Amino acid sequence: MSLIDEDEALIAAALNGSAYAWEKLVKRYEGKIYNHGLRLMGDSSDAMDLMQEVFLGVYRNLHRFRGDAKFSSWIFRIAHNKAVDLKRRKRLLSSQTRVSEQEETDIFASIPGESNLEPEKTVGKQQQNRAIIAMLGNLPIEQRLIVELKVFQAQTFEEIADMQDISVNTAKTRFYTALKKLKVVSEETHVLS
Amino acid sequence: MSCPKTEYLIQEYFADDLTPLAREKMESHLHSCEHCTRELETLLVAQSNLNQWQDQRVPHWDRGLELFRREHRVPNTGNSFWNKLQWLPTAASLAMLAILLLNVNIVASDEGFSISFGGGNSDAAYLDSRLITLEQDQQAAMDALVQRVEDRQDTNNIELLQAVMDQTQQTTAENLDRIYAFFEQQRLQDLEDMRVGYQELVDSDYATIRSLQQIAQFVSYQGDVR
Repeated sequence: MSLIDEDEALIAAALNGSAYAWEKLVKRYEGKIYNHGLRLMGDSSDAMDLMQEVFLGVYRNLHRFRGDAKFSSWIFRIAHNKAVDLKRRKRLLSSQTRVSEQEETDIFASIPGESNLEPEKTVGKQQQNRAIIAMLGNLPIEQRLIVELKVFQAQTFEEIADMQDISVNTAKTRFYTALKKLKVVSEETHVLS
Repeated sequence: MSCPKTEYLIQEYFADDLTPLAREKMESHLHSCEHCTRELETLLVAQSNLNQWQDQRVPHWDRGLELFRREHRVPNTGNSFWNKLQWLPTAASLAMLAILLLNVNIVASDEGFSISFGGGNSDAAYLDSRLITLEQDQQAAMDALVQRVEDRQDTNNIELLQAVMDQTQQTTAENLDRIYAFFEQQRLQDLEDMRVGYQELVDSDYATIRSLQQIAQFVSYQGDVR
C-alpha cells in the first residue's frame, strides 16, 4: 500500500471515529508541519501554535477532503493559510515584524525532547537551524512561504501559484527575488560558511 | 557586466517543466555567459545553505485526541483488530483475581465437573489436617527410606571387609609358599656351591701333596747322588 493509499485509508477510518487512525495520521505529518512552522514563524512556541491550528483545521475539514489532491498538498495548503493568519495576528498584536535578537537566541532553548539527544549534535543542529531561521527572517512572509514550499516541500511553481492564488510567473519571480536576498544575507553574515 | 537574460534564465532554471530543448539552450547560454553562471552558482549556494536544515523533534502534545474522542463520543479504543482484543488481558486478570478471592474449587470426577465457590473454616481445618497427615506420611516414608539405605550400606561394608580379608589371607599364604620355595632353592644352591668348593679344595690339596711328594723325591734323589 502506498503512502497516499495509506493516508486515504487512515482518513476514512478517522472519519468513522477511529482515534487510532487519527493519531497515526497526525503522527505521520506532525514533524513536517512543526518544522515548517519553525522555519516560517521562527519560534518553537509559535510553531506549536501553528501545528495545533493546522491539525484542528484538518480535523474540522477532514470530511471535505475528496482525495482529488494529495493529502500532503492539502495539509500544507491549510498550514500555509494558518501561517499567514498567525503572522497577521502577531503583527497586529506587536509592532515587531521581525524576529528580535533575544527571540533568535532563545528559539531552541526550551525545545522539549531534544535534551536527551547527544549534546554536541543537538547544539550543532540548533545553531545551524537558528542560522537558517535568521536568514529566512529577512524575507517577507510571502517570499518565505514560497521558499518554504519550493525548497523544503519540493512543490512545483504551479502548485505554489495555485496555493497562493497567484500566477506561476509571479511565483517564479518571488522565488528568484527571495533567493537573491538570501544570497546577500548569506554573504553579509557568512553564517553557514 | 550584466546580462539581460539572467532573471528569466534563473527563474526558468528552477522551474519544473523545462523541456529538454529549453534546458539545452539554457546550458549553452550558461556556458558562454559568465555573469549568469556566477549568479546561478551563488543562488545555488544560498539554496544549499537552506538544505542544511535538520528536522527538530516535535514536543509532546496530545495530537487532538481529547477533542477527537469527545466529539466522536468514543472511548479510548479504536476499531482495529488489535484494539478489539485489548480487553483480553484485563479480563484474564480479573478472572484470575476472582478465582483467588472467591476460593473457587473445580473438581473433576467420573460424573463430570463441579464448581464450588467460597471455603469455610471446616474446609480450612480439613485441608490443614490433610496437610499434616500428608506431611507425617512423607516424614515416615523418608525415615524408612533412610533406614533402608543405612542397612544396605552396613551390609555392603561387611561384605567388602570380608572380601578384603579373604584376599589378604590368600595373598599371605601364597607369599609364604613363595618365600619357602625361595629359601629352599637358596639352600640347595648353597649346598651345591659348598660341594663344588670342597671338591676344588680337595683337588687343590691333592695337587699340593703331589708336588710335595715330588719335591721330597727330588731332595731324596739329590742326597743319594752326593
